[in-house]
Amino acid sequence: MEPQTNSGPLKWTLITASAVFLSVFLLLPLAYIVATALRQGMDAYLAAITDKYTCKAAWLTIQATLWAVAVNTVFGIAAAWCLTKFAFRGKKIISTCIDLPVTVSPIIAGLIYLLTFGRQSFLYPYLDSWNIKIIFAVPGIVLATIFVTFPFISRELLPVLTAQGTDEEEAAALMGAGAFTIFRKVTLPHIKWALLYGVVLCTARAMGEFGAVSVLSGHLWGKTNTLPLYIELLYQGYDFTGAFAASSLLVVMAIIILALRLWLERRGSKELDIRK
Amino acid sequence: MNEHAAYVELRNINKHFKDFHATRDVNIAIPRGQLAALLGPSGSGKTTILRMIAGLEQPDSGEILIGGRVVNNVPGSERGIGFVFQNYALFRYMTVFDNIAFGLRVKKAPETAIRERVTELLGLIGCSGLENRYPSQLSGGQRQRVAFARALAPNPQILLLDEPFAAIDAKVRLELRTWLREMITRLHITSIFVTHDQDEAIEVADEIIVTNKGRVEQTGSPQELYSHPSTPFVARFIGNSIPVKDYTRFRYFERFGPQTEAVLRPEFIGIFKKGEKLQYASSAEEGVVEDIIFRGSSLEIRVRLHDNLLSAIRSVNDPAIHVGEKVDVFIYRLFIIDGGRVTLAHNQSLKKESVVI
Ligand SMILES: Nc1ncnc2c1ncn2[C@@H]1O[C@H](COP(=O)(O)OP(=O)(O)OP(=O)(O)O)[C@@H](O)[C@H]1O
Ligand SMILES: [Mg+2]
Repeated sequence: MEPQTNSGPLKWTLITASAVFLSVFLLLPLAYIVATALRQGMDAYLAAITDKYTCKAAWLTIQATLWAVAVNTVFGIAAAWCLTKFAFRGKKIISTCIDLPVTVSPIIAGLIYLLTFGRQSFLYPYLDSWNIKIIFAVPGIVLATIFVTFPFISRELLPVLTAQGTDEEEAAALMGAGAFTIFRKVTLPHIKWALLYGVVLCTARAMGEFGAVSVLSGHLWGKTNTLPLYIELLYQGYDFTGAFAASSLLVVMAIIILALRLWLERRGSKELDIRK
Repeated sequence: MNEHAAYVELRNINKHFKDFHATRDVNIAIPRGQLAALLGPSGSGKTTILRMIAGLEQPDSGEILIGGRVVNNVPGSERGIGFVFQNYALFRYMTVFDNIAFGLRVKKAPETAIRERVTELLGLIGCSGLENRYPSQLSGGQRQRVAFARALAPNPQILLLDEPFAAIDAKVRLELRTWLREMITRLHITSIFVTHDQDEAIEVADEIIVTNKGRVEQTGSPQELYSHPSTPFVARFIGNSIPVKDYTRFRYFERFGPQTEAVLRPEFIGIFKKGEKLQYASSAEEGVVEDIIFRGSSLEIRVRLHDNLLSAIRSVNDPAIHVGEKVDVFIYRLFIIDGGRVTLAHNQSLKKESVVI
């Protein structure tokens, strides 16, 4: 359908409203971050982002994100696959559980792990005797990040796999292809863009996670501070240059992710056009 | 039936989906090299039967035999089956070449042999030059042919086709089914295809298996089904059947059993203009023409007789008949539905006059 062209006033009102909204809620704060980060000069800014603790926090964020993406890619594909390709009891329950992380508050997610692996848990003595530290350590942060980002990949894959149906897989299986061949040759090309898109969303969410991670981190300087936590600490310590410099790092990461997302959407829809 | 002649055989097959009894005591035997059609209304269990033969579904009870061997526990990929899916299920992210080559690649055939076979099949289906296209870049008919080639590539013993022409427009469909018939005869491959289009089944198949509500109603050649339907369902389903509540109201049809239901077909009915020469003029009855439908090569005349609206075919060369005209209607024969059985009854006057002559 052709977009309406002759409703001038309405069009401009809407465009203005959107532009104002975006400026006030997005561009202004972003500009403010940059401005504040640079207020004490470029040198102070560079010093702040090359600060040992900032780098450590950034690295931990990247680590947690990579873990979350890796784990959730595997489980996301597995979950989406079994939910769409097989009929079994309890399908609804699994499907609902996948959404759990986005429906409960991240703080609660953090508390769940705190209770499961913390000192008061019956598991704690065993973990302790094996010398495994989860709470107030990196594994806890990774766990929390995985938990909150769990649905992103499988939710992207589910509609695509549902739409595809099982015919192509059945055809391949009838010709004697094994499960792995079928996945690689038939299913994967189909879900590739959705999967990458899910990965992008998952990455974005993992990088920004604050709540659940905050509960489990313990805020050990240079050890269990992710970027968002570190920013909060700096801010509360009145180190505005540091806080905003670290924020600008996150913003840069986010912009990279956004660009990736745009590119993926383009590529994905182009390919869909050809192969529909 | 000769047991050893059957190449694909189903014995007392039953299948449930949860509480739903989708296949009931099905017995089928198809000799080697035959082309059989599974014909039945939507939801009658045709696809389910086909999928069980292919090993895509497991029957709850009964045996499936291929070449005399019970294959219930043999995986579908080892049954020597090529399957053409209802919507083709071509691999949409692979080219035509890769689609056809898939089965051979899985079997680790040498690449030169694969190239040779694919090229041969592309020639066979008349799609040479299309090997680098994706399925979305093909016409419906071409997709259908590629699906056919893909199923044939690994040299299966049996070809199963689920509504192979359903998604194709009428004209191409006619061409394709003649083409498919020729292909299958040439390759001499035992084939079963599903359809709910009786014209398709009658034209293409050696043998038709009529399914209804999960049961096999009747198995036989198109002629047999046409002239000797063994169940009321088949009598009603095959041909353009016209249901009649009380056949005893027609002259020269004697009461046969307790029930009075019957099924007529257009070719059982003759319609004649008043005064037109008619051998059995004295035995004809008068009806009123209600509608005339132009069918291209013929006319369908709808005529009312004893509260029944009957359809008959008339040649465009016969003297013209008009709506509202009173005409002579002669019914040559009809199928009497008598409980679960069907009996063919002839117009008694035919017998009398032939005796006289
Ligand atoms: N996987 C399934 N789960 C539950 N019910 C099913 C399943 N597959 C088929 N059925 C049911 O079994 C019956 C027979 O289905 P089937 O697909 O064999 O019909 P069909 O004769 O091929 O119909 P059509 O001409 O519409 O394709 C239908 O009532 C259908 O709803
Ligand atoms: Mg079907």
